[in-house]
This record gives sequence, structure tokens and C-alpha cells, in this order.
Amino acid sequence: MLKRNLLAAAAAVAILAGMAPALAADLSIEYNDSFAALVENGVKNFEAANPGQKVNLVKLPGDGYQDRVALDLSSGSAPDLIMVDSFLVAEYAGSNYLLPLDDMLKGWDQFQYYSKGLLDVASYNGKVYALPTDTDVRMLWYNRADFAKAGLPDPWTPKTWDDVLAAAQKLKDAGVTDAWLIPAGTKAEEAATMQGFYMAMLGAGSPTGDANRLRVRADDKWIGDSPAIRKTLQLYHEVYVDKKLGVGSDNYTLDFAATNKAFLDGKIGIMASGSWENSCLWDCNGVNVPSQADRDKIVAWTPWPGNGEPGNKTTTNISGGWTIAISAKAPDPANSFKLLTAIFDKKNFLDWTVSGHRMAVRTDIATDPAYTADPFLAKATELAKDTTGRDTVPGYAKVSALVQQATADILDGKSVDDVVKEYHDGLVDEFGADKVVTIQ
Amino acid sequence: MASQTSPWLRSARGPMFVAMLPAIVLIVALIYFTGWAVTYSFTNLELTGPNSLNWKWIGVDNYVRLFTRQGFLSSLWVTVIFTFFSAIVGQSVFGFVLAAAMRGLRGWGRTCVEVALMLGWLLPDIVAAFLWQATTTDIGFVNTLILQPLGFPPYDFLANYALVVVIVANIWKGTAWSYLLFSAALDSISREILEAAKVDGATGLQRTWLVTLPIIRPHIATNMLFITIWTFTYFALIYALTGGGPGSSTEVLSIFMYHQSFGVGKLGYGAAISIAMVLIVGVLSVFYLRQLKEPK
Amino acid sequence: MESYGRTSPLMALALAFVAVIWVSPFAWLVTTAIDPKTTGVLEIPRAIGIDNFVSALSGTAGLQFVNSVWLSVGTATLTVIVAGAAAYPLSRLNLPGRNLLLWGLVLLRLLPSAGIIVPLYFSALSLHVLNNVGVMLALTVLNLPFALLLLKNFFDSVPIELEEAAYVEGANVWQIVTQIVMPLSRSGVAVVWFFSFTSAWNEFLLPLIFARTDTAFPMSVGLFAAFGQHGAVDYGFLAAYSLVYAAPAVIVYFLLRRNLNTGFAGVGVKG
Repeated sequence: MLKRNLLAAAAAVAILAGMAPALAADLSIEYNDSFAALVENGVKNFEAANPGQKVNLVKLPGDGYQDRVALDLSSGSAPDLIMVDSFLVAEYAGSNYLLPLDDMLKGWDQFQYYSKGLLDVASYNGKVYALPTDTDVRMLWYNRADFAKAGLPDPWTPKTWDDVLAAAQKLKDAGVTDAWLIPAGTKAEEAATMQGFYMAMLGAGSPTGDANRLRVRADDKWIGDSPAIRKTLQLYHEVYVDKKLGVGSDNYTLDFAATNKAFLDGKIGIMASGSWENSCLWDCNGVNVPSQADRDKIVAWTPWPGNGEPGNKTTTNISGGWTIAISAKAPDPANSFKLLTAIFDKKNFLDWTVSGHRMAVRTDIATDPAYTADPFLAKATELAKDTTGRDTVPGYAKVSALVQQATADILDGKSVDDVVKEYHDGLVDEFGADKVVTIQ
Repeated sequence: MASQTSPWLRSARGPMFVAMLPAIVLIVALIYFTGWAVTYSFTNLELTGPNSLNWKWIGVDNYVRLFTRQGFLSSLWVTVIFTFFSAIVGQSVFGFVLAAAMRGLRGWGRTCVEVALMLGWLLPDIVAAFLWQATTTDIGFVNTLILQPLGFPPYDFLANYALVVVIVANIWKGTAWSYLLFSAALDSISREILEAAKVDGATGLQRTWLVTLPIIRPHIATNMLFITIWTFTYFALIYALTGGGPGSSTEVLSIFMYHQSFGVGKLGYGAAISIAMVLIVGVLSVFYLRQLKEPK
Repeated sequence: MESYGRTSPLMALALAFVAVIWVSPFAWLVTTAIDPKTTGVLEIPRAIGIDNFVSALSGTAGLQFVNSVWLSVGTATLTVIVAGAAAYPLSRLNLPGRNLLLWGLVLLRLLPSAGIIVPLYFSALSLHVLNNVGVMLALTVLNLPFALLLLKNFFDSVPIELEEAAYVEGANVWQIVTQIVMPLSRSGVAVVWFFSFTSAWNEFLLPLIFARTDTAFPMSVGLFAAFGQHGAVDYGFLAAYSLVYAAPAVIVYFLLRRNLNTGFAGVGVKG
């Protein structure tokens, strides 16, 4: 009986589907659930403005997101719109996976407000391949209750790495097991490279000749060995192995939300992370987040100091952010672009940026009173004045993987010398010996 | 084995060959997929980047890389330890001991233990990972209900002894299979042989060692074969519980391969790792099969 | 069956201890699931209610449950049919090289599924089965080697005389298969169906890659996604969801228990 009804229903649907007028084909968008509010609202507006047009939402968890997108793109079955971390835009564009947007952008009146620097990150060979969603800055977050317990000053303004290490030691002595969480290891993925390694390294060497970076930009060569790299790895070694100020396994938890919760509960004293945590520690999409005043009572932040050696930066910053791109194989680029502009339409974009305390990527949003009135964003924007970006050239993803592996090797207890050698050899393997330099 | 000349079989041959067709199609598919992996292990194909479009044949470079670069050998060692302790020692021994201990029992006592074992096995990997994490962290079950009441400070087992926790979790998860297999095997031993041994004056332990074990030797070998294969290539529980970490202390070969293929994006290298895994377990399997064929 | 020997009280205690140890990790799961006000820490529930279970069964979560059922029942049934149809001839007909074939297939199966996931994906794409049907087919392919081996061994232990007698009496192939072979092979089939069901129920990597939207995900992926979220974690929901997810596999086990016990004896490899 049930079977017959099901068959009848299926037949009816098939007939109806065949009779439906030829609509523009459904669009689809793949995105990270941390950005659900931005995408889903934009889609709602798009569907309302274009009746009959449906958009399939492929919402994926943040864990393993990169792998899934890479697989989709490489197999040619990616949805029309894809959310991509900014450092991968050049990589994917270079593999012909993304559609260049310049022509369509010319006809969009809101394009003029985008900050040039961020568009550069989302470009390859001079063409723009994606539109940025946000940018960010990175800092050290700390739990105020723990600091009070350990008798540390609050507001806290460390000036050198030694200051941070000393604070972490006091936290540990006061009973905080994970005093300082610097992201490390392969499960943390890009977080280990950006929030951890790069932030430290930028303050571990002189900016001259890019000695504090992973790549000498002027020569287009990767740095296989440098004092900055060694000092950064040494810092990791001190934190995770020598002084045991950090708990390695906290980088491998099942559940990132559990790490956030542990931090809020005081089990982690200092956490190296970014500006999105102002929302994301509770909920990236702004659901049930306490008021800013309440949040400020629990956690506070301070910029990452440099290592204190003369000539090095006093505080460091590196910015990233996500983007949304259109697949090169999208069957209807014009319609896909319409969806893109609906998501980034000023009203939707401004609402999301402000309510999520994200950092703006457009001047029209950055100068909007709603944005400038936000105290957190005002301070964060200060940090953004002196920031840099990742080496977003094809191949960066491999280098990042090598960096993550290097930090994982430190967690394993290997010596800095061994780890550096492995890192150097990995770069040579990947890019060839003539593309890798050693800085003395 | 049935005689080929039986009239029943001769008449049924046609339909039987037809019945085999779907399986043959799928087997061809399996061979194709495996062949793909073998083929691409000799290239430098990658997931993204220039090598995803213009990959080249690089001969045995990937295989050489297994030994000259870090990662494979240490992962192999972790996998060997994991497989040995959790499967060969843990699951088999536990399974056998439980099967032997409960042999004569019937009724709800036995059912209780069986259900308890099966719960471990049936639980989906990610839930099991969740459970074991909840149990062994410093606010988990072991601490709150055992260590703290005894006065010890909270100790994070998962952080400090990740490999041990993973081994224990796998024993918890997989013993049911060994138990079921040995249970059935022990049930198939005729009473008379054991009674005779008892009459001859052999003690319980001697009976087990000298009579029972040799009789069920093929079953032991079968069991070892299956659980070695499964455990050697096990992925889900470990990945969910520790992600291969901290560092690479629980990075078994399947996780290493997954990371190289999808995390780093080197599909060619990942394929070489898979083939290497197949070869290693293949050698072990041949060893087990030899044990099966030996005359009793 | 007469009891082999008396169980000493010590043995009973040891067994009880084993059972308790085995079940204890569940304690957290159960206490968290039944407590609508849980914070995820192991503690005596502050309240008892079914709220968590309700939310675990409604909306997308409920849909994912249905997907899981569809996927697992489909895979198990398909596996049993395809493998059974081939294992029976393999057992009865003395084909040359059949042992080599069987063990060769098992060896092939050593390849971890993550190793063939890329070609699987491309194939499914070209066949337009990038959905749960594709997962079913892929899983059946992966299940075949073991299923064939187990079923063939099982059929080996069923005497052919019955079939021959029925044939002599004039029964045709179809009748012999449905009325003699199938009833006798119930336990072997139950074992294979059960394994295929639970492995498909557990399967996570393939649906993650194949399924296009989160309404198409089975529960395994839904649960994984729920864990990886960057939002606030609702441990009560997660625990209830986990229990709901674990339940069917347990139920299926109970339904098939009798058959499983007999089945296991038959599938032991005899050289």
C-alpha cells in the first residue's frame, strides 16, 4: 500500500517536473559554516529578488573544509560559488579552477569600495578571482580570571617573548595546565602556520630582506633556513617540550568548540588566535552571544610582541581572511555573479560585518557609523594599520603544510636542527634547489 | 566438494554464470580503482597546483621517498605497535579468554557480557572517539570517578599517553569480533576430546594449551588475518580521537596517507603509501595463510 | 547443551567486572543525553528529560537519520544479493583458480578506502551517481571481497545432496534456490547482511565526499559536522544524537543474534 502510494507520488513529481517552465538552472554554493549568516542571508535576499530561482546550500563544517573543496574543484564538480580561504585563491586560479571576475566586476557599482591590498591577495596574474569576505588581525587572547589568579597585570602589555613566557610560567604555577596555546601540528592546519608560526617568526628576525618571513619576495625564493625560523621553532620547543607551558594534544581535539570552551572556562590561560574570536569564542554566527561588556569581563587581548631583539618588530601582525569565488566550470557565470553580488550587497554585508565583529574589506563599510561605533573593531583596526599578508603564490599551501609538519615534529620532541633540515629538504623537493635560500 | 558431473549442477550452470555477472562487474570496478592507485603511485599527481594539470611520470621516486624522507617509517612503526598491541595481543587474547570463560554459561549473565562487548563494536567510530575523549581527559570519567576520589590530582591521559589510549579504545571496540569467532569455534570442538583429556588427568590449563588451541588453529589464523588487516588500515576512530597527534605519536599509516593525499595534496605519494601498505599486509597475510595450511 | 563446568563466584565477579568496564564509557553519553540542562561535564544529571532526543530526531537531524537507514539497508541488501549470487556458483562449481581469485580480492581490499577515494569520486561523477546511490554502489564494491569469501565458505558447509535430491524430484533452479538453498543459508546471509549494514551505518568518508548537501548527509557525517562546528556546542544534543545514531545498529544486532551465532561457526575458513 505504501509502496504504491510512493510510486504514484514519484510519478506525479516526475510529470510535474517535466511540465515546469524552463527556469534558470539552480545555483549552488559551498561554504564554511562559520560564515553561514553571511551566505544564507544573502541567498535569501537573492531568492526573494529572483522568484523561481533556487539556490542549493552546501554547508560544510570547518574541519576538513579545505580538503573537500580541493577535491570538488579538482574533479570539476564544484558548486557554482565556493568559499575559499584567501591564500588558496592563487593556488586554485593557477590550476584553472576559478573564473576571472574582472569583466563582470566592472559593471558592479559597489566594486569601487574594495580595498586594493585585499583584492591583490585574491588575484593571480593581475586578474581578480574572488571577492574577500573579511580580513582579520591576530593577537594573544587571555583569560582574565586566570590572570587575576596568577597575580598578573590586567590589562597586560608584554613587550617581548620573555614577558609572555614569564606570564605563562606564573599561570602554570597557579594551576592553569595549558598556560599558553600556540597552534601547532597538522590538525590545526592553517591556524598553526598563521596564528602560531608566522606571528612569532615575524618578530624573530629583521624585516630587512624579508629575513623574518617564509619567502624573499623580491627574489621569489623560499627561505629554507634562517635565524628567524630557528628562533621560532626554539620558542615552540620551549613552550611544548622544555617548560611544558602548553599542552600539545589541545591542538588535536575532536572538537574546536571544546577548545574555545576550555579557554572561556580558564583551562587555557593565553591563546594565540585572531580577531574573529570576539564572536567565535561563543558563536561565529552571533547566536546567543553575550553583550560586548560581558565578553570583555571574561577575556581580553594584547598584540603579539616581537622577541625583543633590536631591529625586530615590536609587535607583529599578519592578516588573512576568506573569499568567495566562482568555479571555472559554472554553467551560468552571469547568474552566479548575480548571486555573488547579492551576498556582498552593502546592506547584507554591513549587517554581517558589524554583528560578527569582522573587519571590513570595503571603505564604504569601514566608514559606516555602525562600524566605526564598535569599540572592538576600532581597536582591531589599529592593529591592521601595520600588518602584512601571507605569501599567496602557488605553492604556499605546500609550504604551509611543511610548516605544520615542522611544528608537529617539535611536539614529537625532535631537535630544532633536525626539524629545520627536514623543512629545508622538503622545500627543495617541492620547488627545486634554485628556489630555496638560506639566510645566515 | 560437489562432483562436476552431477546433473543438477550441469543444468544449473547457465543460470549460475548469469548470477555471477553483477559481482564480476563490481570486481572489475574494484580492480580498476586499485589499478588507478597503482598507476598514479608512479606519477607526481597532485590535488591542486601545476602538478594537478600537468603531472609527469616519475618512476619509483615516490617509493624511494618513502624511505628517504621522514614520516613513512615512523608511521609504520606506530602502526605496527598499534596493530600488535590492540589486535594481536588485545582483541585476540581478550576475545579468546572471554569465549573460553563463558563457554558453558547460558542465560542472562552471558547475555550481559555479550551485549556489553557488542556495544563497543557497534558504536559508530566518531561516537566512540567522543566517548573515549570524554573518558580519558582530565575532566573525564577515569579522573572524576576513579582517580580523584582516591586523592590523585587530575591527569590528562589522552594528552600524555595518546597511543595507549588509542590502543585501549581499539581493544574496547573490536574485541567483540574475536569473541564471537572464538565462541563459535570453541562450540564446534567436540566434547569427547576434551572429556578424554580430562580423564587422562590434564588440568584445565593443559587442556586448553595442548588440546583446544591446536584444534582451533585455523580459526585463530583466520581471526588474526582479519583483525590484522582491519587494524592495520584502521582510520576513523584514531583520526577522530587524536587526529594523528599529538605531533605524530598516533599517526598510523592510514592517517599519514590521508594527510599526504588530501592535506598536503600529493596524490601520487599518497597512492604509493597505499600500495606500500597493501604489500606489507599482503606479506603478513601470506604468513598467516601458511599457518592455515599446515597439517594439524 | 550441558554446561561445561561450574562457574566459580570469582569467575562471575571477574565477568561482571569486565561487563561494567566495557559499558562504563557510556555513562557520560547517557547522563549528558538525558539532561536537558547539561554542560557536557560528567556529573549526575540535574534534570531528566527527552528534549535532547526530540531535537536529535527533528529537522535536518531526522532527515539524516532517514538517509542513514536508506543507505545502510540498501548497501547491506545489495551486497548480500550480489555476493550471494556469485558465492553460490563459486562454491558449487569447481572453477579453476577460484581460491586464488578469492584471496586475491581480499588482498586488493587491503587498500585503504581513502586510497581509492579519488578514482571512486571521478567514476561516480561520470556515471552521475554522486549521491547516496553512488555510496551504496561504492560500498558494495568494497564489501564484495570479504562477503564473497564468507558466503562461499558458508555455502561450502551446506550439503549439496539436498539440492541434488530436489533436482531429481523435478524442481527447477528457481525453486531449488528459493526453497532449499536460501532457508539453509539464513545464518551466513545474516552475518554478511549485518556486517554490511553496520559498516555502511558507520561509513563516513564516502558520504562526506559524495553527498552534495547537508540534507543528503547520513547521520555519520551529520554527527561529524556537528562536532566540527565553530559555534557553541550543544553537548546534550550531540549526546542524544549519538545515542540515536548508535541505537539502530544495536537493535539490528539483537534481531539477528540467533542467526549470527550459528553463522559465525559456518564461516570459519577451513584452509
